[in-house]
Amino acid sequence: MRHVYAQNTPFEVEALKGVSLAVEPDEVLGIVGGTGSGKSTLVQHLNLLLEPTGGHVLVDGADARTLAKNELRRRVGLVFQFPEAALFAPTVEEDVAFAPRQLGLGEAEVRGRVRETLALLGAAHLAERSPHALSGGEKRRVAIAGVLAMGPEVLVLDEPTAGLDPATREDLLDVVRGLKVSGTTVVMVSHDLDEIAEVADRVCLLDAGEVRALGTPSEVFYASPAAAPATVRVASLLRSSHPEVGRPVRLDETLAALKVLLGA
Amino acid sequence: MAATRGIGQFYPVASPLHALDPRAKILATAALVVGLFLVDSVAGLLALAAVLALLVTASRVPPGEFLRLLRPVAFIVALTVVFQVLFSREGSTLLDWGFLEVHTGGLRMGFFLALRILLLVSAAGILTATTAPLALADGIEDLLSPLQRLRFPAHEVAMMMTIALRFIPTLDEEAQKITRAQAARGADLSEGGPLRRVRATLPVLVPLTIGAFRRADELAEAMESRGYRGGEGRTRYRELRFRASDAIALAAAAGVLAGGILL
Repeated sequence: MRHVYAQNTPFEVEALKGVSLAVEPDEVLGIVGGTGSGKSTLVQHLNLLLEPTGGHVLVDGADARTLAKNELRRRVGLVFQFPEAALFAPTVEEDVAFAPRQLGLGEAEVRGRVRETLALLGAAHLAERSPHALSGGEKRRVAIAGVLAMGPEVLVLDEPTAGLDPATREDLLDVVRGLKVSGTTVVMVSHDLDEIAEVADRVCLLDAGEVRALGTPSEVFYASPAAAPATVRVASLLRSSHPEVGRPVRLDETLAALKVLLGA
Repeated sequence: MAATRGIGQFYPVASPLHALDPRAKILATAALVVGLFLVDSVAGLLALAAVLALLVTASRVPPGEFLRLLRPVAFIVALTVVFQVLFSREGSTLLDWGFLEVHTGGLRMGFFLALRILLLVSAAGILTATTAPLALADGIEDLLSPLQRLRFPAHEVAMMMTIALRFIPTLDEEAQKITRAQAARGADLSEGGPLRRVRATLPVLVPLTIGAFRRADELAEAMESRGYRGGEGRTRYRELRFRASDAIALAAAAGVLAGGILL
C-alpha cells in the first residue's frame, strides 16, 4: 500500500512507500516509529478515511472499498491523536451517544452502550457533565468511549496516551488488555516503547514509510536494542555476561529474570 | 490538502515576479485594477488581457493551475453575461421571443463585463499567487504606515491580517482533522436535506470554534511572553528592499494603465 499526499503538486509528500501488513484477529498490534515515519497516515487507511494512492486495504479478504463506509467504520473504530479535540456535545452522555446514534441504533440500545462504555473506561460518573469542563485525562477517556460505543471489531488507537498522567495511562493500558480479553482486536500507535512492550502481542516498526521490522516484541526489540524499551536495553546488556537472562520484554518478565539472576 | 487550494493561494516557485518587492506588486496591481475600470473599449481590455497573460507566463505558475484559481468566479461571470444578454435593450434586435429579446448591445456588454471581471480576478490572482501571505501583509503595513499620522493603527491592522492569514491553513487542517474524527464516528456531511446537512456540521463547527478560542488565548500568551507590546519601535526580521527592478515594474504598470486608457 502506498500513499502520496497532494499528488502532482509542489506540496507532494510520499508518506507510505509500499507497506504490507496484516492485523490478526484478537491481537494487540503495536505500531512504533519516529515522527514522520507514516504511523498516522497508515492507521487512517485502516477504515479508509484516507484511500491508498496505490494498493489495497483488505478486510477479511475483501477490498475495503466494496464495503459500505458506515459498515467499515463501525467494524474498524479509529481514535485519532488527541481525540478530545472532537468533543462537541453539551454533555458527555450525548457525545458518546453520537456514534451509536449515527449507526441507527434504537434509543434503549444507545443508552445501554453509552453506560457500558463509560463504565469500561472508568468515566461513568462524568455522564452528566459538559465534556469541555473536564480534565485532560477525563476528556481522553470520554473521547475514546465515543468510538468504542460503536462496538468495533478492531479498535485503532493513535497515540492514546500522549500527554496523559501516569495513572490515567495505566488505566488506559488496562482497558486495552481488557478489550483483548473480550475479543476486540487492538492496533495501537505509540512513541512510548515501554507501554508497547507491556501490551503488544506483535510490534510493527515503521521507518520512512516502510515496515522495518514486524514480529513479537522480543524479536523486534532484541534485533535493535538501541530503539527498545528500558527493560530490553537492560536485559540485552546483561545478556553478554549472563545469557541465562533470556529475552524478557514486559516489566514483570524482566523483574522475574533479574530475581533469578540475583538469587543465583 | 489538495482541497484547500483555490483562489488567493500562494504558489511557491521561483520567478522574477516572486522576487519583486511586495509593495511594488501591490501598487502595480492597484494600477492595473484602476486601469480595468477606466478602460472602456474591448481593444483596451484585450491589450490588458495580453499583458496579464504575459505576467502569468513570467510568474512560472502553470497556466492550468492559474485557470483553476478562476473557477470560483465562473458563476458570477456567467450570471453577469446572462443578465446583460437578456435585459439590455440596446442595438439591433437579434432574437425576439415575446418577452425575451436579445440585442447586439446586450451581447457586447455581457462579453465586455465578463472580460473585465475575469481580468480583475486574474490581476489579484497573480499578486496572491506570487507573493507569500506574510510578505503581502508586510507590504500592506508599509503602504498604510503614512496613515499612522492620522491615528490609523497601521501596524495593528497588518498584524491582524498576518495572524488571520497565518491561521487559515492551521484552522483548515484542524477542520479536516475534526471532520475525519467525526467521520470515524459515523458522521456523514453529504447526506440528507439542507437542514440535516447544517445540523451535521455542528459536530465539526463546535469543536473548531472552541479550538480557535483556545488557540487565540495561547497565541496572545506566547506573544506577550516574547515581549510583544505593539508596533512602536519594532524592527523587522524580513526587511523589504525596493530595487531598480521594482521601480521598472511599477513604471511598466503605469505604462500599461496609460496605454489601456488610450486604446
